[in-house]
Amino acid sequence: MAKPSETGMEALHHLKSTDPPALLAPSPTLSQTARTASQHLFSCLKPYAPKSPFDQLLTDGFDAEQIWQQIDLLSQPLLSTLRRQVKHLEKHPEESKIVLKKENEFLDGERKILEEKETKRFDDDVDDDDMDMDMDEFDDEEEEEEGGRRESEKGESEDESGEMVEGKGGEGIEDKFLKIKELEEYLEEDEAREYGLDRKKKKGELKLEEEEEEEEEEEDEEEEDDDDDELDDEYEDAEENARYEDFFGAKKKTVPKRKSSLSNGSDEDSGLNDDGAVEKKGGLSTHEKQLEKLQSEIEQMEKANLEPKTWTMRGEVTAASRPKNSALEVDLDFEHNVRPAPVITEEITASIEDMIKQRIIEGRFDDIQKVSSLPSTAPKEVKQLDENKSKKGLAEVYEEEYIQKTNPAAAPISFSDEQKKEASILFKKLCLKLDALSHFHFAPKPVIEDMSIQANVPALAMEEIAPTAVSDAAMLAPEEVFSGKGDIKEEAEVTQAERKRRRAKKKRKFKAEAVKRMTKKARDNTALLNHNEGNHLSVPNGGLFS
Amino acid sequence: MQSGEAPASMEVETSSNGLGTHIGSFLLPPKPKFEPLKAHEMSDGRVQFRKVSVPPHRYSPLKKAWMEIYTPIYEQMKIDIRMNLKARKVELKTRSDTPDVSNLQKCTDFVHAFMLGFDVIDAIALLRLDELYVESFEIKDVKTLRGEHLSRAIGRLSGKGGKTKFAIENATKTRIVIADTKIHILGSFQNIKIARDSLCSLILGSPAGKVYSKLRQVTARLAERF
Repeated sequence: MAKPSETGMEALHHLKSTDPPALLAPSPTLSQTARTASQHLFSCLKPYAPKSPFDQLLTDGFDAEQIWQQIDLLSQPLLSTLRRQVKHLEKHPEESKIVLKKENEFLDGERKILEEKETKRFDDDVDDDDMDMDMDEFDDEEEEEEGGRRESEKGESEDESGEMVEGKGGEGIEDKFLKIKELEEYLEEDEAREYGLDRKKKKGELKLEEEEEEEEEEEDEEEEDDDDDELDDEYEDAEENARYEDFFGAKKKTVPKRKSSLSNGSDEDSGLNDDGAVEKKGGLSTHEKQLEKLQSEIEQMEKANLEPKTWTMRGEVTAASRPKNSALEVDLDFEHNVRPAPVITEEITASIEDMIKQRIIEGRFDDIQKVSSLPSTAPKEVKQLDENKSKKGLAEVYEEEYIQKTNPAAAPISFSDEQKKEASILFKKLCLKLDALSHFHFAPKPVIEDMSIQANVPALAMEEIAPTAVSDAAMLAPEEVFSGKGDIKEEAEVTQAERKRRRAKKKRKFKAEAVKRMTKKARDNTALLNHNEGNHLSVPNGGLFS
Repeated sequence: MQSGEAPASMEVETSSNGLGTHIGSFLLPPKPKFEPLKAHEMSDGRVQFRKVSVPPHRYSPLKKAWMEIYTPIYEQMKIDIRMNLKARKVELKTRSDTPDVSNLQKCTDFVHAFMLGFDVIDAIALLRLDELYVESFEIKDVKTLRGEHLSRAIGRLSGKGGKTKFAIENATKTRIVIADTKIHILGSFQNIKIARDSLCSLILGSPAGKVYSKLRQVTARLAERF
């Protein structure tokens, strides 16, 4: 079925006749036919879309995307205008006849094509989803299908805007011509609002509006013959420009709408507003409902903001400034700087007890072990202050000092030191023997180095484990230690009589001793004298010194 | 004249003959060579005397220790010594064979020390060593104390059974005599000073322990030096 040059219609028909499965496989003939078909359609629609820059659909050497873009450029405004027109015709069925009359010739074939297109579009809706996957392979079919889908989506989005535009479009025209009517409308509207009238009245107003519009249209109709084309053009222009005026008109509407809501003063704006509000109350779309909801919410929030805040939102609230017992109801959150006390449960106690038991079994206690510091050097001999009367005379002391200074080697070792050393050595030997007898573990014989030996022997000090020997004094009872007779009284305790008695006793003793000595001396002296002077007995000349 | 001529120049010509020096042409007599004077010959051959009075409380101790005093003085120092009972004085006199003039003074010091209250064996050190001195001072020189304070000060100085005194004595190698309010210290100069400081601090009121610690430090320092 390869026909390189088909007319557009034929191509269309050919496409229509092909089976959908056949469309799956890419074929150059099919693509060519598709292109020609689209070109034909494009050229058909061209007169109705003056905005498009292309006079003809360019398909030679063009990508699927590019072709589609061209179609899109043409078709989109067209579709929107057509839709609006359809809606308009829905509302005003009388007009349809007029329109049909006018444009029957022009729109017949096109409409058919459009219908075909639409049907094709809707038929292929299901296939659209399947075709989605193979976008790159199947260019031409996707072109149209995609375009169809997108156009349908866009159509829906523009539904409301279309509605809006329709209304606005009409009012835009009115705005230019009729202001007094709007005034009257507004007044009625305002009264209704003030006195809380039903929607029915507004509906009635709608009808009135419709009648007005009809009147207008009748007026227009009178001028139809003359200004057919012009009207058409105007209408078309209006419809086309309505798109732009959508935004422009919307802006006009929205801005004055707000102004009117604040101050119901300006007439023009209110008139516009009125019509808009009336129309909205009649048939609210979902979007408008959402907007209303939002608006109410906003009003609520603003109201709340003007009021003073709740106490939970205020900072530094004392008990006096908040209602009674309100802090109990609110879940307060504040930082605890203290670690929470551990909850003592049975498990915890059981675990602790287990640990204790285990430790006892092991014998592993965390006792502090004293670190014995070993003496690095022999302990310095600290000279003790002797508090007894020195037995040496001063001369001997100085003598020794002098000898030490001049000739240290020849200095005779002091008697007491020597005795001390001997005693200490003997004692240490004894201790060692006793330790060896009493301890189970072996303690080696200590090495005595003469040079480092001082009064305390470091080596021995390390070895000594046993406590120092117990003195005999402790073994004895105090009565056994004490050697004395009778009741012993302290100096402070002695009474005066007792003191006298003691002194008398002492004196007696002394006298007895003195007599003894005297007699002894007398005997000696007499013996001497007798020896020296024979018979001559004389008082010994010790009187001076006796 | 010959002697009137002061030698302008120090140049003296010594002559070979030991008879005289030559200053110019004059002859000078030889320089005399004198032996040191004996104690006996001093003050133109007259005898040297010393008298030491005996306080009553030292009378009997003197009697007891007379022989110990007499023997070293007479035998080693070669000084005559006697006791004047009537005058209650000990008299010392030089002999002809006294070797040194200072012997008499030493013996006098020795006897005097005994009179102050020192033991003979301690006082004997005065005879043997030259550098020993006796220093005496009173408690009132340090601090004016009256009545019980004075008694307490004396008690502080001595300590219980004299242990504080002995401690100072042993540490400083001195001998101390505390006679009522008088204090006598016998020892070398430095040691006297240390002992005196300790005693003064005791008089002023510091406790014995403090004095001990100070003593220990000082003596350790002294010992280290040697």
